[in-house]
Amino acid sequence: MPLSVSLSIEGDTTVIELAGELDAKTAPDFHQTIEKAAGHGTGTVEIRMAGVGYMASAGLRSLVFAQQKVANHVTIKVVGAIEPVSRTIRTAGLDRSIVLSDE
Amino acid sequence: MTDMVELARAPAELEVPATLGALGDIASFVLRLAGRAGLGKGPAYRIRLAVDELATNIVMHGYRGGDGRITVRGRSGPGRVQISLADSAPAFDPVEGCLPPAPGVPPERRRIGGLGIHLALTSVDEFSYVRRDGRNISTLTVNAEGTDPCPPRP
Repeated sequence: MPLSVSLSIEGDTTVIELAGELDAKTAPDFHQTIEKAAGHGTGTVEIRMAGVGYMASAGLRSLVFAQQKVANHVTIKVVGAIEPVSRTIRTAGLDRSIVLSDE
Repeated sequence: MTDMVELARAPAELEVPATLGALGDIASFVLRLAGRAGLGKGPAYRIRLAVDELATNIVMHGYRGGDGRITVRGRSGPGRVQISLADSAPAFDPVEGCLPPAPGVPPERRRIGGLGIHLALTSVDEFSYVRRDGRNISTLTVNAEGTDPCPPRP
């Protein structure tokens, strides 16, 4: 299943909305969008993942890339991830630097 | 090997080129077997994740993006799926390449590559590796009632 990625700005938040499956094949699309989002310079980057039914470690690599691309004061939020996806994020310890929220 | 008696005798087989484009076919193959075994969403996700991570590793690091094939064999029985992945890349035992998250290292500075194998090995209930006739063969098993040790709770 392919990945759809959309990018928008809501006030001081850059919103990346993902739907589909995030694996080694599809993660490069997410990477490109992260680069654009980092250029927006908003205080928060919100990654909406409710529509992501599957995420492999390639998705973790993308989230780490996002952390590296944004300025130190920028908050990265992952919103609405299904349980196995948020579990993968926690397994990598990324929940210490990325805010995981249900909504 | 009494466990094998409960699994289908003739394994299903899928042979694909070692490319990222084949990951979708491998996932469909695994999920079909998981469905046949009556696995719930959680165990089906775990076996799919584990096989996906090992297959990705074979493509990216085993054959280093060069030509190669991956043979996927699967058996399903009530509440149980066993998948084997075979490749002809240089010898690589995933257990030795497993890299648990290093607690003292900030996430943005960790190697994520080894973490994929860690995810795979902690997602399955049984894992074995052999090098035979010039091939790496990894065998992964997930049970419907299996425990999921991942993530390690603080």
